[in-house]
Amino acid sequence: MISLTGLNLILPQLIIALAAIIVMLSIAVKRCHRFTNLFTLLSFAAAAISVLYIPRGSFGVSSLFVVDGFGKFFTVLIACAGFVITLMSYHYLNAREKRNEEYYILLLLSSLGALTMVISNHFVSFFLSLEVLSVSLYALIGYLKEEPAGIESGIKYLVLAAVSSSFLLFGIALIYMQTGHLDLSGIAAGLSSSGEFSGVFIAGLAMVIVGIGFKMALVPFHLWTPDIYAGASAPVSAFVATVSKGAVFAFLLRLFYSTGGLENKNVWTVFTIIAVASMLFGNWLALRQQNIKRLLAYSSIGHLGYLMVAFLAITDRGMQAATFYLVVYFTGMLAAFGTVIYMSNKKGEALYIDDYRGLFWKKPWLAAIFTTVMLSLAGIPLTAGFLGKLYLLTAGTEVGIWLLVIVLVVSSGIGLFYYLRVVAVMFAGKNENEASSEPVIGKIFPHGLVLTLLFLLLLWFGVYPSSLLEIIQQIASVIR
Amino acid sequence: MPVNYYIFLSLALFAIGIVGVLIRRNAITFFMCIEIMLNAVNLLLVAFSKMHHAKQAATLATAGIDGQIFVFFIMVVAAAEVSVGLAIIVMLFRNVHSVNVNFLNRLKH
Repeated sequence: MISLTGLNLILPQLIIALAAIIVMLSIAVKRCHRFTNLFTLLSFAAAAISVLYIPRGSFGVSSLFVVDGFGKFFTVLIACAGFVITLMSYHYLNAREKRNEEYYILLLLSSLGALTMVISNHFVSFFLSLEVLSVSLYALIGYLKEEPAGIESGIKYLVLAAVSSSFLLFGIALIYMQTGHLDLSGIAAGLSSSGEFSGVFIAGLAMVIVGIGFKMALVPFHLWTPDIYAGASAPVSAFVATVSKGAVFAFLLRLFYSTGGLENKNVWTVFTIIAVASMLFGNWLALRQQNIKRLLAYSSIGHLGYLMVAFLAITDRGMQAATFYLVVYFTGMLAAFGTVIYMSNKKGEALYIDDYRGLFWKKPWLAAIFTTVMLSLAGIPLTAGFLGKLYLLTAGTEVGIWLLVIVLVVSSGIGLFYYLRVVAVMFAGKNENEASSEPVIGKIFPHGLVLTLLFLLLLWFGVYPSSLLEIIQQIASVIR
Repeated sequence: MPVNYYIFLSLALFAIGIVGVLIRRNAITFFMCIEIMLNAVNLLLVAFSKMHHAKQAATLATAGIDGQIFVFFIMVVAAAEVSVGLAIIVMLFRNVHSVNVNFLNRLKH
């Protein structure tokens, strides 16, 4: 029976769903970009705040969702990321596209998919959230009609994501055959009663890994990433890099920890290979990039590989390290794409590293922010990225997964080169052809303000992480 | 009929879908192939649902029902996916006057 008592538990999701409908109706009445943007901002803020009204503890909402500390933490994280992306989209869309209101419907809907995914406890709810997330992303990626590259990347993402989700579904069907359940607790029970993992179950799990690996852009399922990042508009790339990947990662943790799928040696080995390949290839391929969005794409592949180290540790500390690193990664990526958006002009985005030549002499504050972001992504002390990587390393060394730890260190070393190259360009001499360039679209308010805030967060987590760690320690052990 | 036959049939359908996506260059054909793949999964889920029902019907009348319900969700999602996809294909056609994906080569390193 459906009861109304569980509704307060899914308040953030309800707020975002309602907001999407209201925005849609408001467009039918009257188009107003400023109102739509403001309303979207307010609903993201309301979704983040409404988490405070959810009681503590772990509750099931029907058998589809489970609302626990872990899910609430990710709900807040995703809502905040949505808030930041909405803020950064306003001037960008004003400059580059005429009809902007539908963008916010799609943004709200795909955030809704991410928000329901982090509390999913059932394959049906996971699949539905995944599709809500990605079907709205298809349209978001191809949103700029004047931009042929956007349509191209939209269609590429569409075909590849659809194929990967059919793989995922096939895997789910095989798991269903073996266990007779689609909910994660039922699968765990079915597994423990049957003892050994059968071939069918392993095959099913492998196909699920293909689907999830595609969404998280892990090597060897990463080929779409640079094209989609480069072709989509910068705010959408930021969304793909943060919200879409973070939500899938949250479900990955839930899926493999609550069903105990990682206890199988073969599954663990497959994940190790994926993690090692992601770390090495992501960082190595980023070395050659001249396009800053492609560089960030490869860098994000590497970062997801780092996260897998903590995932494979299968400890409470690993969970905490992964959650902390994900927060740091969100902050860093949002700030990096925020800088790209700030530097864009009416004709196009500041795509190439050369566009940032001599930025320090023109906009010292922006250059300082971008430098900090790059250093944090590279993992230099005093920034949050360093501590995040340190926690990942401790989580790895604690359980002695030395191969992964060594690869993490080596690939971070490779990563230093391309991050520092960007920094070096910003402090180099002035750009020769700057007279021809149009003024940038970034404004002090709200754009500069958000960037400054993200910059301060990166430093704050880097110097004084205990505020965040205390929260994470409360929620991280719940899931198992 | 043993469940193996269903597994082989849906594996064959799934393989046809994959091969189609890999070798065809027409965006509309891509969608047909993806539909075939999704329907292979639907067949599989219904077959497994029947299998679990036959196994446990004595103890639980609704055993295996979740597989069948999942199929409805997949159908809905497939329809939504295609409607958004066709809209994007229309945009592609307006841009390059073709639905051939070989024209999608602007994004290079």
